[in-house]
Amino acid sequence: MVKRDEREREMLDFLGINEIEELFEDVPDQIRTDLEMPEGLSERKVMSKVKKKLKKNKDPDKVTSFLGAGIYEHFIPAAVNEIIGQSEFYTSYTPYQAEISQGLLQALFEYQSLIAELTGLGAVNTSMYDKPTALAEAILMSARVKRKGNKFLIPENTHWENDAVINNYLRGKDIEIEKVDFNEEGRIDKEDLKAKMDDDVLGFYVSTPNVFGVLEEDVDAFKDIKEDNDCVLVAGTNPLVLSLMRPPGEWGADIVVGDSQPLGIPKGYGGPSVGIFACNEKNIRKMPGRIIGETEDSDGKRAYCMTLQTREQHIRRERATSNICTNQSLMALASAAYMFLQGGKGLEELAKENYKKAHETAKRINELEGFEAPYFESESFNEFTVKTPEDSKSLLKGCKKKDIIPGVPLDKKDKFSSLPNTLLTAVTETKTEEELNEFVETLEEVTE
Amino acid sequence: MNSDYRQARYEEELLIKRSEEKDIEENPLPENIARKESAKIPDLPTHEVVRYFNRLSHMNYGVDTGFYPLGSCTMKYNPKFTEKLAAMPEATELHPYRPEEFSQGTLEIMWELQQQLAELGGMDSISLQPAAGAQGEITGLMIAHQYHKNNDDERNEVILPDTAHGTNPASVSMMGYELVEIPSEDGCVDLEALEEAAGENTAAFMITNPNTLGLFETEASQMAEIIHEAGGLLYYDGANLNAIMGKTTPGEMNFDIMHFNLHKTFSTPHGGGGPGSGPVGVTEKLASYLPVPVVEKDEEGYSLNYDLENSIGRVKGFYGNWLVMLKAYAYILHEGSDGLEKASERAVLNSNYLRKKLEPHLNLPYKPLRKHEFVLSGKKMKDKDLKTKDLAKRLLDYGYHAPTIYFPQLVEEALMIEPTETESKQTLDGLAEAVASIMEEDKETIEEAPKNTSVRRVDETKAIRDSTLSYMMRD
Repeated sequence: MVKRDEREREMLDFLGINEIEELFEDVPDQIRTDLEMPEGLSERKVMSKVKKKLKKNKDPDKVTSFLGAGIYEHFIPAAVNEIIGQSEFYTSYTPYQAEISQGLLQALFEYQSLIAELTGLGAVNTSMYDKPTALAEAILMSARVKRKGNKFLIPENTHWENDAVINNYLRGKDIEIEKVDFNEEGRIDKEDLKAKMDDDVLGFYVSTPNVFGVLEEDVDAFKDIKEDNDCVLVAGTNPLVLSLMRPPGEWGADIVVGDSQPLGIPKGYGGPSVGIFACNEKNIRKMPGRIIGETEDSDGKRAYCMTLQTREQHIRRERATSNICTNQSLMALASAAYMFLQGGKGLEELAKENYKKAHETAKRINELEGFEAPYFESESFNEFTVKTPEDSKSLLKGCKKKDIIPGVPLDKKDKFSSLPNTLLTAVTETKTEEELNEFVETLEEVTE
Repeated sequence: MNSDYRQARYEEELLIKRSEEKDIEENPLPENIARKESAKIPDLPTHEVVRYFNRLSHMNYGVDTGFYPLGSCTMKYNPKFTEKLAAMPEATELHPYRPEEFSQGTLEIMWELQQQLAELGGMDSISLQPAAGAQGEITGLMIAHQYHKNNDDERNEVILPDTAHGTNPASVSMMGYELVEIPSEDGCVDLEALEEAAGENTAAFMITNPNTLGLFETEASQMAEIIHEAGGLLYYDGANLNAIMGKTTPGEMNFDIMHFNLHKTFSTPHGGGGPGSGPVGVTEKLASYLPVPVVEKDEEGYSLNYDLENSIGRVKGFYGNWLVMLKAYAYILHEGSDGLEKASERAVLNSNYLRKKLEPHLNLPYKPLRKHEFVLSGKKMKDKDLKTKDLAKRLLDYGYHAPTIYFPQLVEEALMIEPTETESKQTLDGLAEAVASIMEEDKETIEEAPKNTSVRRVDETKAIRDSTLSYMMRD
């Protein structure tokens, strides 16, 4: 400490002043204030204090959770954290200086390339904040692409948090959201969708899987509807299912949004994750967010840099395509590392395992008295709806006593109040046979 | 003086290039939605993937590599213990919908962080939901929008000084507001121009203080008076909060809404562009407008309150970037009131020291006393028929990350330098010597820079022309 004070003295002398306070003489007395908070603690004390607080969270190892609804429990190979834990990656800033940032730039280009393979759309940005904000940005981009109409159609089978975020992002914009019904399969009611199509519609959203875990089956019909009405098709998805499912780019999606959390990112109480944003190649100049492009250096060597920056706020200011600056880059890197570590085959096998476990579990629950699973009798991926014989509140309570969280009670969400006693239950590869047995037994017990 | 800095130069082919065409066997999905061919993702041994990314990391520069004086970005050293805490399973393995009684530790930390930030900003209530500074800005504007709407007082303009960060005007137009930009006088807001611009259409006025030139806006309270008089709200962009902790607060300056950049001021690493966290603070009259949920405390413990009377609703899924919040919380505990004030003092000392060291070599517009950052003009480079960009690229050869360049736009050939409090005098002297040395170099040496980095000067024009944004888009 003494040494540092000496250096400080030398610096003050160089500036010709006696004390640091003189450097704050431009801050008027009337607005001066002191910080009312405790003095600093040593690293050891902070570690111990914060650890103690974190231990007040119920030990995740002792909880069997079937929660999904946007955040999914998947095993993450240790190498993922090793890779994003390289300090040259995680202590760097946005790669403004390309020459000294090739490592991150190339890694993010790999991320874009992987997402392009999964979505079937070649143009991908390095991330949005999460899926709801990616969807909000997709609607804003749709309006830039289609310079006609002021209506965007959103089916009711999307996550309630999407609705809230979209409403906020469209404040002050001349874009109106119109809702489209879902049918008894839990899928978009295509007749309602077609009925709501008119010249004012600039685009519509299709989520597959949707908030019920249900997959749309006749996806090519959406392409037809889009073309018949000359509007933008935005598809929302889970990137893991895309290893088995036809890429949305193939069935007409102009923009694909999603969250890359299932691919190598911990649940983290909901954040940070990664908003996926991909679009077709003809609209790249209308995209929001940072994008990495391939190029060469002055020696003709392959190199990468941020590109199409004139779309962005730091150049284009009020005419930028979005205000996003800081994004979720490191999590995009985590997803890229995860996908390479799993490999193409590994991802397929994992997706199959998720599919299988969820289906088998639904089948077993369906056999319990008073239960219906899946409530929407449609193809789903790794989560499904469960109709329970009694109010979900008492069922949840009974399960909680055994440290089991059976799912998200959909009926407690305003938009799904028409679905009484309905749970949304996710089953991923992490659930063991024993856990699934105990889960099914517990459901039976608490409803007896 | 020359540099011994050498960045690794590997010829790493893209991994995705190693994928092969394959069919999917036994796809359980229905025929009409089942993929026939696998996505082109290679199947590689773990160690090859680890080596690849390790090598890429050697071709990247972070704060842990060296000095990163990137103006407006507050690239201070990030303590390691916060990383450790944020990697604990009790922090990472939490589903956002797990019951509140299972999440008391997290909620307690979030609640305490809300209190810490309220104190640091002089605000009454905090939302931790925004994921980044720009999202904090737009959240603030949504709050202003709802507030005026509830008062049947629809207003369509937001005033900004011409020194504003690019995110400010972008947030303004994203929210559908008209932008009213006012010119600066001697680098600071011109009160007369503000007075002229303010009126019944003014929804809000946004500034950062100190501003992007590093100058403290001494008349902030008068600005507040003008805007409040006109019925508008004041928004404080927290990007430059690192200069004033323990000295003053946006609340003291009579601002109504602000955001914090946890990834700047509170030392969470920037992750190559994110994740960050941009909590928003408001004064009491706007507390009921915050996004929901907010964390509350009562005798039974901590809970998520979704029921705020005038809430704008949500701006993001779930509760924000929790793992980033956790690191910032631990950092604030570690620094405490004394450490945070010292951080601002030292950041300002470092900035003024380096400013004076560099003044003989580059031009300093406006008055000399700066806060945590300063902007120089590289117009002297023109004597050699070179630009600020060339100086920036040459600095890379000396092992320094370049300053922010060409911002703010009102300074010709701008170089924006923010040394932060964590750098030592020796490091600052090193940068000053490097700049002095570069200014003496011949045109050719500078023009050909960088040569010590993984690649030579990157052709950004070709990147735009080709627009190859993924492997799929390669010809």
